[in-house]
Amino acid sequence: MKLVILGVGGMGAISLSKIIAQMSIIKGLSVRSSEIHGMAKKGGLVEVQMKIGEGKSGVVLQKTADFVLVLDEAYLEYGEAFLKDKSFGLIALTGEDKRWVVENLGDVRFANALVLGKFVKQQDLFTKDDAIKVLKGFKTFEKNRIAFERGLV
Amino acid sequence: MKLFLSGNEAIAFGLIEAGARFIVGYPGTPSSEVIPTAMEIKKRFGIRGYFDWSVNEKVAFEEATAASYAQIGSAVVMKQVGLNVAMDPFMNTAMTGAPGGLVVVVADDPGPHSSQTEQDSRFLAFFAKIPVLEPSTPQEAYEFSKKALSLSRNFEIPVMIRSTTRVSHSREDIEVGDLADLQIEPHFVKDVDRFAATPHFRLILHKKLNEKIEKIKGLEWFSDFEEYFEGDVLIVTSGVSFAYLYDIVKDNNLENRIKLLRIKMPYPLDVEKLKKAIDKIGSKRIFVIEEGYPILEMQLKTKMPVIEGRLSGLVPNEGELTIDKIGEILSKAGILNQKSYDFVAPPFKRPSLCPGCGHRSAFFAIKQVFRNSAIYTGDIGCYTLGLNLGAVDTVHCMGASVSFAFGFDKVYSLFGKNDQIVVATIGDSTFFHSGIPALIDAVHNNSKLILVILDNTTVAMTGNQTTPANDHNQIGEETKPIEIEGVIKALGVDFLRIRDAYDMDGMIEDLKSAKDFVLNSKSPAVLIFRHPCVYSGEGLKSNVRFKDVYVDENLCTGCKVCVKQFECPSLIFDENKKKVFIDVATCIKCGQCVKSCPFDAIKVEQ
Repeated sequence: MKLVILGVGGMGAISLSKIIAQMSIIKGLSVRSSEIHGMAKKGGLVEVQMKIGEGKSGVVLQKTADFVLVLDEAYLEYGEAFLKDKSFGLIALTGEDKRWVVENLGDVRFANALVLGKFVKQQDLFTKDDAIKVLKGFKTFEKNRIAFERGLV
Repeated sequence: MKLFLSGNEAIAFGLIEAGARFIVGYPGTPSSEVIPTAMEIKKRFGIRGYFDWSVNEKVAFEEATAASYAQIGSAVVMKQVGLNVAMDPFMNTAMTGAPGGLVVVVADDPGPHSSQTEQDSRFLAFFAKIPVLEPSTPQEAYEFSKKALSLSRNFEIPVMIRSTTRVSHSREDIEVGDLADLQIEPHFVKDVDRFAATPHFRLILHKKLNEKIEKIKGLEWFSDFEEYFEGDVLIVTSGVSFAYLYDIVKDNNLENRIKLLRIKMPYPLDVEKLKKAIDKIGSKRIFVIEEGYPILEMQLKTKMPVIEGRLSGLVPNEGELTIDKIGEILSKAGILNQKSYDFVAPPFKRPSLCPGCGHRSAFFAIKQVFRNSAIYTGDIGCYTLGLNLGAVDTVHCMGASVSFAFGFDKVYSLFGKNDQIVVATIGDSTFFHSGIPALIDAVHNNSKLILVILDNTTVAMTGNQTTPANDHNQIGEETKPIEIEGVIKALGVDFLRIRDAYDMDGMIEDLKSAKDFVLNSKSPAVLIFRHPCVYSGEGLKSNVRFKDVYVDENLCTGCKVCVKQFECPSLIFDENKKKVFIDVATCIKCGQCVKSCPFDAIKVEQ
């Protein structure tokens, strides 16, 4: 599986990639990623490309990704360019999602778990339980679980 | 235990597992994560060892060399330009050798993404006559680091691990071995003919070095080539290019078109052995694809003139060899039919100092006083971005702001323009790294440069590492803080002012006094503009925070002075309204922009 995660500095794109990596490791799948950070520190683009169960490098080319997770709406068009099939696989965190997370969980950073939920729902490599196993390791498991389940809906 | 590690983290795990107990270096992208990881391992596994930052790469190299003289497994870590700083001890340690083992970890930055040069450190291994191993993935970075230390110990020779950005900053699931404290004893065996060798003995050391490298050339594992796939086109490759080529072959089903011959140790290369292997394979076309300079190609070309690569014009001679680029090269050569597509670039965002950064206020004050009349020499760090405020005219290498200012001041003073103001800006860590010797020269040789030390008490650019001014290291161990002003005073600087970089009026007053001082004297003026980095948790927590910072639309004339001259990314010009507004998502409400508005339209609420 080829996957790209796009976010801005401080939003947790790298943390999300690590959660998915942990899910892969538990399932015994190989996992590789390549991180690209722009020079702008605050608010700059953070791009993580991932390969699960394939490849030697973590690099994912445009027009080849199975899924693209976009954590900031400014990068929707850029994210779409990575998709193998433009009609499928774009998973975005919407303004509506963000508001729901802030109102119900108090911190926008739980939005990553919501995106993880949307991702898990759309593919068949990982199950809901695979994600829960990893999220359980977090101190803030309960809030992450709530956000994750919201994404599954 | 299986961990998802970056190449740099994997290097730290590999080195410590292999017994390295002294690892030092200086931060620099893309190498900066090795030492923090080593420090975390020390803390987590209760391992005795010295893992920390040094003041610069030359000092780090010498410290690690001495540790290795005392039979302790050692490593020194830096980016490619850092190795330039450490060249003197680097060349010498190759001669004397490293009894306890010394691994030289160098991360190159093809592209370049965050460097002044695009050099290939493998050439410096060649130059110094030391072996270099080139991992292609984080997993290999881990394994090769262990191999490097054992090779270094066995032959008492420094061994280089050459990484590149895409190996250092990629992650992979890696099974790491056990980490435990070691019972080791330092044991320096005195041998003046070796460790304090006079030129005559250096000749003997050089001969010994040549003998070592000759033996290493044919060593099992290190000199073994790996062969992949069964195609009729042979590609000799190494490092990250190998990983890319492997993926290209797999993704495009080229297993019967391409054969890969992968090299782990590009120097010393057993060219005879390689030629035999290539002859045996008997391919009609042979390419060499490697990240950086044509080091494999130049060695191989002596025996096989038909090979194609950089020297034949097939592979470009500059820029990163990305997977797309390699695809293009193979398409050009008629091997791959890479579908051309229009690459969609992400929305452009100019790199800028963070909102609330004290450096921005300092640059603004400097420009208020000297406008465009001064020559501004800049340095390496976040504050290179003073470029955006028109307050940086030169950026060269670490510490060069001060020596460049010296050079400019001398020639202008000598040849008839005695009132030319030269303002150097340098960060605190860069000042410690290599600004101090240049300032000694300026004081001693009567240069009237103005030096502004932009002190945020951290190495911000590379991820907020500690500096010699901190009273603790990353894992909380106590260190003795070095006071910058103490150093300045001790050097005999007659003009010194210290100011918080958020005190705009104060900085302007100091800069004006500095100007008067240098115009009437023959010695440098030094100003320290200090403010904690707001990108660090502590800095942000302790920072001034107004209840609100906003633009009064009735007063804003849309002149854009704030946007252009203060250049905070939180100040945004609304093209429809022709007014500026403040982006609340990025603004940290420091209120520093207030002074930049000529019409007092930016307001703060207490």
